[in-house]
Amino acid sequence: MARFIIRCGIFAMTVKGEHMAEATTAATHEQRPPAGIMRWLTTTNHKDLGILYMSFGGIMFFIGGAFIMAVRAELLLPGLQLLSPEMYNQLFTLHALIMVFGAIMPFATGLNNYLIPLMIGAPDMALPRVNNWGFWILPFAAVLLLVPFFLQFFGIGSGATGAGWVMHNTSLDLQSGIGMDFAIFTIHLLGLSSLTGAINVVVTALNMRAPGMTLMKMPLFVWAWLITAFMLILAIPVFSAAATMLLTDRHFGTHFFDAANGGDPILLQHLIWFFGHPEVYIVLLPAWGLIPHILATFSRKPVYGYRAQVYALWAICFLSFIVWAHHMLTSGLPLAAEVYFMYSTMAISIPTSVLVFCWLGAIWRGAMTFETPMLFALGFVAHFGMGALTGLILPDVAVNAQHHNSYVIVSHFHYTFFGGGIFGMMAALYYWLPKFTGRMFDEKLGRLHFWLTVAFFNITFIPQWFAGLGGMPRHIADYALKFSAMNFISSVGAFLLGLSQLLLVYIVVKCVRSGPRATGQVWEGAQGLEFTLPSPPPYHTFETPPVVK
Amino acid sequence: MMMGETRKQKRRTAWLVVALVLLVAIIYAATFIKLPVWLPALK
Repeated sequence: MARFIIRCGIFAMTVKGEHMAEATTAATHEQRPPAGIMRWLTTTNHKDLGILYMSFGGIMFFIGGAFIMAVRAELLLPGLQLLSPEMYNQLFTLHALIMVFGAIMPFATGLNNYLIPLMIGAPDMALPRVNNWGFWILPFAAVLLLVPFFLQFFGIGSGATGAGWVMHNTSLDLQSGIGMDFAIFTIHLLGLSSLTGAINVVVTALNMRAPGMTLMKMPLFVWAWLITAFMLILAIPVFSAAATMLLTDRHFGTHFFDAANGGDPILLQHLIWFFGHPEVYIVLLPAWGLIPHILATFSRKPVYGYRAQVYALWAICFLSFIVWAHHMLTSGLPLAAEVYFMYSTMAISIPTSVLVFCWLGAIWRGAMTFETPMLFALGFVAHFGMGALTGLILPDVAVNAQHHNSYVIVSHFHYTFFGGGIFGMMAALYYWLPKFTGRMFDEKLGRLHFWLTVAFFNITFIPQWFAGLGGMPRHIADYALKFSAMNFISSVGAFLLGLSQLLLVYIVVKCVRSGPRATGQVWEGAQGLEFTLPSPPPYHTFETPPVVK
Repeated sequence: MMMGETRKQKRRTAWLVVALVLLVAIIYAATFIKLPVWLPALK
């Protein structure tokens, strides 16, 4: 049976290979992709799909941002002004789901699509048609997630899910209306998309490297994505299965999580966090992989501590799967389990510190210049560092009991996700944008964007840290009067942070339309196979694999 | 690239894809069938 499946697979790929050969011949005569909308609907080209993924991530970034603007508008002043508590719950839940699954992950997937084949000297991803399929699942998943939110304004249904991004508020899970069902289907679709992408990355990185590119010569970005892909393959099925169980509990009479009928609501938390904690690293690892490239380029030095970083990434991958219950330290775990999860979580700081010191080693005594990608990379190191340090104290059992479900957590994970994930993606976008478009962006505007982002990001999230220390709980639309000043500052910061991101759109549009031409090398100190190609790279690249020494 | 090598690469790709899809299916099934039994041990 297995042999039959393999033969079918080989046949399918052979047919695809023949099509690619024909396409290549056509492209030799006419170095252009097919014109019009059909190019984007039917493309199997990794660069096209990379651009589609990144564009989708960018659009969702602004939709998710708009939702949280409404939340911060409600929190601007104490009392309920604009939103009902139910609407508030829906908005912060959608914000989180969209930002994690709709913005950061697709953008990082876009980067891997565009860059991995260029970095390893491959003509495309290993499974180009699967790649197309993986992308086109995403818009449907996004629509499915958002439909119940908008239907409620027409009197249909009770709105989107409001149970938070990890959806383990079981009372809501079992009671909320169609929104949870839509979210469950969305999770299955997103999971399918992530798995197709992950399998594609593993096969491409392991099987399509140019001659001479051994595993330990692979760029760190490819290593980081290879490890991320393994994490997705191990974590996503658990999340999908948990969502399936929730679905069967809700509609098919099972009682996995239903305490009233002998089920265990804490089991849902275990399953979701078994996925949810690796998910944090799934979001962060791609950024950790690309930052060393940027720091090295603008320090005019080679990547520092290459092997140490590879091993540290693997160590983080392993540890991320054995620490999940530090999110549940107040759920009544036995003391031995609490102590285990406390120390195992703190152990992650060791490989993470290896990474941070390697990043600092990369810029140490380097001939640094501070172009926009470098600024965002340094901003990433500083802000992610704050997220990591605050993360180090939170698994302490005693401290966690104090801060659990407070705004301390909100501030911490935004320093991690925004300070780590978004700053990393911004650094990557500015670093490779000239490669993608063939044009340079406006450096002055880029720097302005960086400084506005840094200022407003900190104005938004530092007050949340102190409000949390003072005991302000999250997930509640109102707060005690003593938190008024902190929330006012945070909301103003959030509005300005949101507005300042519109500058990024202007910078990208201006770059694409009228930026000065970029060279193939783009940046003076840039290294890697992608910089041996013209900017933008031709539609088909590395049809004859380069030899890596 | 030699023809034989291309074929070998395709064969390796197919094996990898089948192995990874099977891994996903096993983890999904194991979660659904077994984890509800295992994890309450943490309580």
